Amino acid sequence: MLLYIVRRMALAVSVVFATMVLAFFLFFAGPGDPALNLCGDAKCNTQRVEEIRKSFHLDEPVSKQFADYALGVVAGREITSGGFTKPCPAPCLGYSFKTDQPVTGLLVARIPVTLSILCGAFVIYLLIGIPTGVYAANRRGTAVDRAIVGTTQTIGSIPYFVPALLFSLYLTILHPLFPRGDYHPLSEGLVKWASGLLAAWIVLGIFGSTGYTRYVRASMVESLAQDYVRTAKSKGISHHKVLFKHALRAALSPVLTIFGLDLAASFGGVIFTETIFDLHGVGYTAVNALRTSDLPVIMGCLIFSAAMVVGMNLVVDLVYGFVDPRVKVS
Amino acid sequence: MSTGPGMSSTAIMTPGGAPTPAAAVDVKPGRSPSRIAFERLRVDKVAVISFFVVIFFVVIAVSAPLLAGLSGQSPTYVNSELVDAYGYPTIGFTSDHWFGVEPLLGRDLFARWVYGARPSLIVAFISAVATTAIGTIAGLTAGFLGGVVDRVISWFIDFVLALPFLLFVLVAVPIATSWFGSPESMEAVQISQLRMWILISVFVLLGWAGLARLVRGEVLSLREREFVQAAKAIGVPTRRVLFREILPNLSGPIIVSLTIAIPSYVSAEAGLSLLGAGMIEPTPSWGRTISEASRFFAVDPLYLLMPMLAVTALVLSLSLLGDAVRDAFDPNTRR
Repeated sequence: MLLYIVRRMALAVSVVFATMVLAFFLFFAGPGDPALNLCGDAKCNTQRVEEIRKSFHLDEPVSKQFADYALGVVAGREITSGGFTKPCPAPCLGYSFKTDQPVTGLLVARIPVTLSILCGAFVIYLLIGIPTGVYAANRRGTAVDRAIVGTTQTIGSIPYFVPALLFSLYLTILHPLFPRGDYHPLSEGLVKWASGLLAAWIVLGIFGSTGYTRYVRASMVESLAQDYVRTAKSKGISHHKVLFKHALRAALSPVLTIFGLDLAASFGGVIFTETIFDLHGVGYTAVNALRTSDLPVIMGCLIFSAAMVVGMNLVVDLVYGFVDPRVKVS
Repeated sequence: MSTGPGMSSTAIMTPGGAPTPAAAVDVKPGRSPSRIAFERLRVDKVAVISFFVVIFFVVIAVSAPLLAGLSGQSPTYVNSELVDAYGYPTIGFTSDHWFGVEPLLGRDLFARWVYGARPSLIVAFISAVATTAIGTIAGLTAGFLGGVVDRVISWFIDFVLALPFLLFVLVAVPIATSWFGSPESMEAVQISQLRMWILISVFVLLGWAGLARLVRGEVLSLREREFVQAAKAIGVPTRRVLFREILPNLSGPIIVSLTIAIPSYVSAEAGLSLLGAGMIEPTPSWGRTISEASRFFAVDPLYLLMPMLAVTALVLSLSLLGDAVRDAFDPNTRR
C-alpha cells in the first residue's frame, strides 16, 4: 500500500513537472525570439521587447531560467527586475507583466470566482441529474425514459457556447430578465453574490446536468439489477425505500467519482462561462492574459489547472484504494 | 485448433467478437460486428436524419465556391459602399447578398457562411482521423508489448490527460503560429492556413490519449485470450498478430471513438475561434463570425444566428450520429 501511494505520488509530481517543462518549452525554447513571441498577435515596440527580455532574464541560458522557475515553485525565490528585488514565496509563479503582482496571489484571488460559479452549477448538476436519472432508470424502457435520454443527449450535444452566448446576450443584456454576470464576494451578502452568478449557474447547470442524468441513470439501472435489490424487494420493503435506500446509495459512488474529477477539471476555469458572463475567474484570467501577452500569468494558469487535475486524480485513486476493497493496489 | 471446449466457449461468450478462423467459414457466413452495427444504423431514424444533415454540410463545404459563385459574391471582397459611416450595413437581404453584408467591412455573409463550413469540417475530420490512428497504435503497442514500452506510453497518456485541453490549445496555437510565420514574411492567407494546420496538430497532440488508454486496456485482456495465444504459439509474427488478430476485435470502440471525436472537434474549432485562438482573418469561420456578430446582435440578429444555427446543427447531428453508432455497436442496447 505504501509503495502504491509513493508510486502514484511520484507519477503525479512527474506529470506536473512535465507540464512545467512543456509550458516553458512552448514559450522559450522554440524557434524565434521568445520576447517577440510573448507579444503574440499584437505588435510590440522595441522598448516593450527589451522590457520583456530583461524582466524575464532572457539573456540567461534556458536551462538556468527553467531551474530558477522550477525552484521558485518549490522553494520560493527572489525576483530582480528593473533594479528592484521582489520576494516571491513558494509556490512562486513569477510576477505579472501587466499588473506587476505575484501570479500566485493573482490566481488565489480569482479562485473564489471560479469556485462560486462551480459551487452553484454543481449543485444544479446534482439537483437535476439525480432525480431525473433515478426517475428514468425506474421507468426504464418506457416512453418517459426514452424522452429523458433523448432530451439529455440532444442538449448535451449542442456546443455549449451557443446557448450560453444567446442567454447572455438576449436575457441579461437585451431583455434583462436576469441580472448581468458580475461577481461580488459572499461577504457582501448572499443575495448580491448569488444574483451576479445566477445566469451562469442556470446555463452551466442545465447544460452540465445532462451528463449527470445519464450517469445516474446508467448507474441506477446497474444497481437495480443487483441481487441484493431483488432480495430487498422480495422481503417486502416498499419500492420507494428500495429505490432510494438500497439502489441509489450504491449507484451514487461512481457518480461521485465523476463529480470529483469533473470538479477538478473545471478548477482551471470554466472558460466559456467566465468569458461570456464576464465573471473574472481563473479561466477569464487566462484568456485575458493571452490577449495582453501576460506570459507569467498564462503559465501560472496552465500549471495550476494541470496540478488540480493531477491532484484530484491522485486523491480519487488513493481514496478508492482505501475505501473499495475490490481495487487491488499492488 | 478448430474444435476444443476452450475455443467454443470463447465464441459463445463473445458472439462475433473473436475472429474464429477457418472453422466458422463452412458453418455459416458470420456477420462481423461492424456489419451488424451498420444494419442497425440503417433502420435508426435519428441516425439517418443526422447523416443527411452532415452530408448537407459536407456538400456545402465542398461546393462553397460554386454556391458563392451562384450568388455572384466572394467571401473576402470588401463592399465598403454598402456600410454607412458608423459601420452598419445599409442593405438587408437582397438578390445580390442573400444573407446581407457584414457590418464594418461589408463582406457578403452568404459567401462567408458557406465557406465557413470548410475549416470546421477539415479541422474536425483530419484531427479525428489522426487522433484515432495514433491513439490506436499507441494503445496497441503499449498493451501488447508491456514492460518499459507500456510504462512510457502510459506515462504519456497520464500526462496528456492531465493537461487542461481548452486552456492549452488556447495558449499553444497563437504561440506555435508565431514560431513558423510572421506577418512580415507571409501573406495573411498563408498565416491563416498555417494556423489551421497548427490547430489540427495541437488537437492531435492532445487528443490521442483517451483512445490509447481504452485500446490499451482492451489489448491487455485480448492478448491473454486463446486465439492470440494460439497464433503466437504457431509462430505468427508480432505485427500480424497485432493487426490481424487483435485489431479487428477493436473495430467497435475505435469506430465509436472516431464518430464521437468529430463533433467535439467541430465544437472546439468554433469555440476556440470564438475565443480568438482558432481561425484568423481572412479565412471565414463560423466561430469567429459568432464572436464578431455578438457585438451587433441587437441590430443585426441574423448575422449572429446564421453561424450559430450552422454550428449547432452540424455538431448536434454529428453527435447524435455518434451516439447512434455507439448504440449500434453495443450488444446491450435494446432498440
